[in-house]
Amino acid sequence: MRDVHKDQQLRHTPYSIRCDRRMKWHSEDEICITTWRNRKPPGRKMRQNTQDGYTRNWFKVTIPYGIKYDKSWLMNSIQSHCSAPFTPVDFHYIRNRACFFVQDATTASVLKDVSYKICDDENRKICIFVNHSTALPVKNKLKPGQMEMLKLTMNKRYNVSQQALDLQNLRFDPDLMGRDIDIILNRRNCMAATLKIIERNFPELLSLNLCNNKLYQLDGLSDIIEKAPKVKTLNLSKNKLESAWELGKVKGLKLEELWLEGNPLCSTFSDQSAYVSAIRDCFPKLLRLDGRELSAPMIVDIDSSEIMKPCKENFTGSETLKHLVLQFLQQYYSIYDSGDRQGLLGAYHDEACFSLAIPFDAEDSAPNSLRKYFEDSRNMKTLKDPHLKGELLRHTKRDIVDSLSALPKTQHDLSSILVDMWCQTEWMLCFSVNGVFKEVEGQSQGSVLAFTRTFIATPGGSSSLCIVNDELFVRDASPQETQSAFSIPVSTLSSSSEPSLSQEQQEMVQAFSAQSGMKLEWSQKCLQDNEWNYTRAGQVFTMLQTEGKIPAEAFKQIS
Amino acid sequence: MGDKPVWEPIGSSFIQHYYQLFGNDRTQLSAVYIDASCLTWEGQQFQGKAAIVEKLSSLPFQKIQHSLMVQDHQPIPDSFIISMVVGQLKADEDPIMGFHQMFLLKNIQVAWVCTDDMFRLALHNFG
Repeated sequence: MRDVHKDQQLRHTPYSIRCDRRMKWHSEDEICITTWRNRKPPGRKMRQNTQDGYTRNWFKVTIPYGIKYDKSWLMNSIQSHCSAPFTPVDFHYIRNRACFFVQDATTASVLKDVSYKICDDENRKICIFVNHSTALPVKNKLKPGQMEMLKLTMNKRYNVSQQALDLQNLRFDPDLMGRDIDIILNRRNCMAATLKIIERNFPELLSLNLCNNKLYQLDGLSDIIEKAPKVKTLNLSKNKLESAWELGKVKGLKLEELWLEGNPLCSTFSDQSAYVSAIRDCFPKLLRLDGRELSAPMIVDIDSSEIMKPCKENFTGSETLKHLVLQFLQQYYSIYDSGDRQGLLGAYHDEACFSLAIPFDAEDSAPNSLRKYFEDSRNMKTLKDPHLKGELLRHTKRDIVDSLSALPKTQHDLSSILVDMWCQTEWMLCFSVNGVFKEVEGQSQGSVLAFTRTFIATPGGSSSLCIVNDELFVRDASPQETQSAFSIPVSTLSSSSEPSLSQEQQEMVQAFSAQSGMKLEWSQKCLQDNEWNYTRAGQVFTMLQTEGKIPAEAFKQIS
Repeated sequence: MGDKPVWEPIGSSFIQHYYQLFGNDRTQLSAVYIDASCLTWEGQQFQGKAAIVEKLSSLPFQKIQHSLMVQDHQPIPDSFIISMVVGQLKADEDPIMGFHQMFLLKNIQVAWVCTDDMFRLALHNFG
């Protein structure tokens, strides 16, 4: 089973973070062993250790779902399987897990071997993970007298009406310094004590200011998600955070306002929009960053504490989203068809992916109209060359827009598109567009092609969407599709999610309307609801009418 | 890109597995969905593993054959994969029809499951 962790290590996205570390899979109840290509000089680690007087060799032992087990039973069971006794330090529970620390490598490897050797009373084998620890156990817990003083100091800094706690520059608070209490928030014990006091005394906390506390990591702060879950405003400005990745440790907070300026991480981004979008990835509901208003987040009223909970409202009925998507498509295709696709740079995420495919695997078998798409076509079923496979998956917005610009010029028929919004999570929306477009120049000018394009997007600036994935499938249009294409003037954009009526269906609607006296739309609806079974629709109509259930406005005015 | 594209074999094997199950016994498809999954079948939505399997099992045909022509896979941040399939299907003795399906895959524990699925018949038969 240990291979599971190896696999976790291998699964990664091609999205690289500026600081050149591998992205960690973010899982609720699993421990992922991450490897760091850590370019940090060893100096930092040294500093941390000598400050607290620890040696390097701490190992963190984690038992997933450990919360189920009684502490003494668990520790005794583990001890009984160990050849040598060991001293667990700082045993505590985090969410479902039980954790403790041990101090040397021999003990650590003995403990590793105990994994899957102990059976609980449901006969399940208990899994034990052991990692070299970057977080140190909370040694040197504050004495009661110190805790009391800290609590009083924090009380003074608490604004009751705003439910805001100002802990900026906490170390140098005169009250604490006067009593020789050194609250260095980088230290686990100090951060843990502070959070404990918050949990007890200010559990409804809305705003927390940690400005100017020389924080270079947020490991200790991650407990805040459980201790003060309502925090909406967090100020981490003027600290020493080097990477946006640190924010992942407090990702569970539903932040609306965040301050990060004055941290080294701010200068790791190529531009402002990259910075904003990275922070937004972490906190999708964020409204203000560094004091500046951000555009309204895309997701409204979705209560989801876990990313995969099904959406409470039927999102095809969500008018706001539908409107947003249609507006986006209109803007996107107006640039796409304009002759200069460089404007699309603004629509894509820095690390977006794009690929396209056509249903032909040999250039000669493809009809003329599709030949120009053949070179870019990435059909994983038949494409074997790994180099080409990699090349054709366009990555980064620059690459994508360059490859889009090389594709033939088009004119899309937006009035006949069919849009499926088929997935929505806290931070992403997936929708597929089916439609047709015309080639406007070159050998195949005038030919009509059909496409299905799937976009995965996240909230972007100015109430728009930012594309993260883009997959395009292009084929020849059928004769019917070619005929009905561009029949409606392009200026009207219909968002009908139902296919247009066939000739036969249109005739049925006319007849039904004449017979029932109902307006065309109502007749159509009645027929649709009864799956175009004319007789049945008639029966349903008669029944509803005798029951008086059909409103007067359904009927044609008698002139 | 430097990193190995693990999403491709994952996507391919999921697709192979999916259509094999679909062709043999559609009720077994409950294994690839979870309670949070959502299927959009020809514009209609079905939430949750049970509803999805019910819809698929109740489709009006006994026998179904799929021929996959095009596949493409892309990685999505936060450990998702999106897989696209275009192909042809034949239900019982009906004429061959084209179809297009998108799968959103997520890694849960050790397995890859489908969290969202979109299916559309193509009006046009490809090839």
